Amino acid sequence: MSADSETPASRVPDTPSAFEQYRIPLGLVVLVLFLRPVVSSDLLLGFEAIANRMLIIMLFVAAFNLLFGFTGLLSFGHAMFFGFGVYVPAIVVLNGLGGLAPGGSVTFFAGVALALLSVGVFSYLLALLIVGKGEIYFALLTLAVSQAIYFIALRDPWGLTGGSNGLTRGTLPEFVEQTRGQITIQAFGASVDWYWVVAVVFLLAMSGLWQVVRSPFGRTLIAIRDNEQLARAMGIDTTRYKVWSLTFSGLLSAMAGVLLEINNSGAAIENLGVLTSGDTVLMAVLGGINYFFGPITGAFTWLFVEDFLTDFEVWHIPTTELAIVSVDLGPALQFWQFFLGALFVVVVLTSPEEGIWGYVRTLGAGVKRRLEER
Amino acid sequence: MSDEVTTGRTDRPASVEPETDPQSAALGVENLTRTFGEVVAVDGASLALESGELRAVIGPNGAGKTTLFNCVMGTLDPTAGSVYLDGRDITDAPEQRRPHLGMARSFQSNQLFAEQTVFENVRLVVQTARRGAFSMDLFRSHYDVGRDRAAEIAETVGLGSQLESAAKNLPHGDQRRLGIAMALATDPEVLLLDEPTSGMSPGATTQTAQLIEDIRDDRGLTVVLVEHDMDVVLSVSDRISVLDRGRVIATGPPEEVQGDRTVQDAYLGGMREEL
Repeated sequence: MSADSETPASRVPDTPSAFEQYRIPLGLVVLVLFLRPVVSSDLLLGFEAIANRMLIIMLFVAAFNLLFGFTGLLSFGHAMFFGFGVYVPAIVVLNGLGGLAPGGSVTFFAGVALALLSVGVFSYLLALLIVGKGEIYFALLTLAVSQAIYFIALRDPWGLTGGSNGLTRGTLPEFVEQTRGQITIQAFGASVDWYWVVAVVFLLAMSGLWQVVRSPFGRTLIAIRDNEQLARAMGIDTTRYKVWSLTFSGLLSAMAGVLLEINNSGAAIENLGVLTSGDTVLMAVLGGINYFFGPITGAFTWLFVEDFLTDFEVWHIPTTELAIVSVDLGPALQFWQFFLGALFVVVVLTSPEEGIWGYVRTLGAGVKRRLEER
Repeated sequence: MSDEVTTGRTDRPASVEPETDPQSAALGVENLTRTFGEVVAVDGASLALESGELRAVIGPNGAGKTTLFNCVMGTLDPTAGSVYLDGRDITDAPEQRRPHLGMARSFQSNQLFAEQTVFENVRLVVQTARRGAFSMDLFRSHYDVGRDRAAEIAETVGLGSQLESAAKNLPHGDQRRLGIAMALATDPEVLLLDEPTSGMSPGATTQTAQLIEDIRDDRGLTVVLVEHDMDVVLSVSDRISVLDRGRVIATGPPEEVQGDRTVQDAYLGGMREEL
């Protein structure tokens, strides 16, 4: 280094303020606090249980996006990791494990541990095999492997997976109580609303994901996504980073799967299916793969539109004080996927990597500028 | 280095290396051959760079300069022959190991992390140089790693005032300089630059030539420069190696190579009068 250089500290860009640095976890807390009251208001969907499902799918899509948006690897078979998380605890709770009785709380947690362990090992080994094969082959190989797992589960090996019926009875541990569709968790003599349990797991897992993305490790993943050739030339072992990215993504997806197992009281074969994988890709792209909140936005929009449109059958238009014109939209809205598809096409054509969250950011930046000009 | 320094044109045959043994050179290439099917891109090339030397590699289009470069950096595997760094045989070291062994490159085309800022481009390489080819560095923020050093290096190449610009928005010449900054951020002993002034205006070319000399002088780096601009080559290099059809046909100080008949026939052609 030349000796006459000034003190280097003066030229280093300022690190963002604490608020800037921690706005993502803050945003997650706000999301969790407001999601249920907002979506369950009568003006919107009018029922609460949807919020549980939303958080779970958001976590799954965000986990998927660690691999797609932040590492540049498109997996078309992410349902396999998700499905592991759904099936393994269900199978363990139903059949017991070793000396652990079926239906026990400890049995369930053993099942969760087994699910995470097996997904971790499975995704790590799978990644070692396929991560170096190039983008297209990676996508096709994930699709092929997940289809193989789907068909194995469909054959009901040793009577474990229930075949096309899935597992619906006796798959919940004793601490889960269901009354009229409401799930509560009985722990230490108290009764906790299922939503808050989902919320805590969601916050922990998402914070973990956020920490991965902002760490030096995560920045390396982004560099690999941006320019793999350059990353390698600059001394980055791209293969090992991709392998670990897939492993973390698989683990967090399985986490989401475990939550869904309780939420849906059991496992369904669709959880492993190619549509689940495909929807995940679409949700991520719809929300915007370049942003942390992109997949969250995508999952929210998807599930919201799906429920809103399927429930929204009759449109009452008050014309005068007494007369109300009612239009039956049911026949048109059974094709809700068409409307979602149209939205998807618009988003992809206008800004494929920004998605809906990209629009929200642009809009927010514009409003901020206007306010500052005043 | 040869004692004989010729300033005018000579008719003696090309001076061919080795002056020193590639196996003990700062950067050595020994009988390196690379074929693509039937085509022999590099044909038994040998080079031996002394520590601190600035060596230009020139040659007509298709002479195999970039292929040689890529073989030295491990981007391509040589068909035969060896590469030595500071006496170690590194022929089989994977590409991503080489920056950690002390050699770094810039690319002929602008290879950048285009969406990131200038600062982040450099910082990421500093981080990699410090933490190794793979590191499970999960529990810190990237704001804690390599910021001072990255700013320092960006300043060295004259990008100190553009740290926050996205790399893709820089003018072409600045992008080339950013490429050099990133190579420097690996803290190399040997630096390979692939046409660092291509596409630059004459003014920027002079600046970059000066920058390359400064870097070499300040840090005592060994530099390999693949370059088309003869003014740059003649003004900055200690020695020049001329590549033609995959072979090193001459190596020597600029004046000597410039006057060499074989070189003129093979490469300079119509430019003979001009020089």
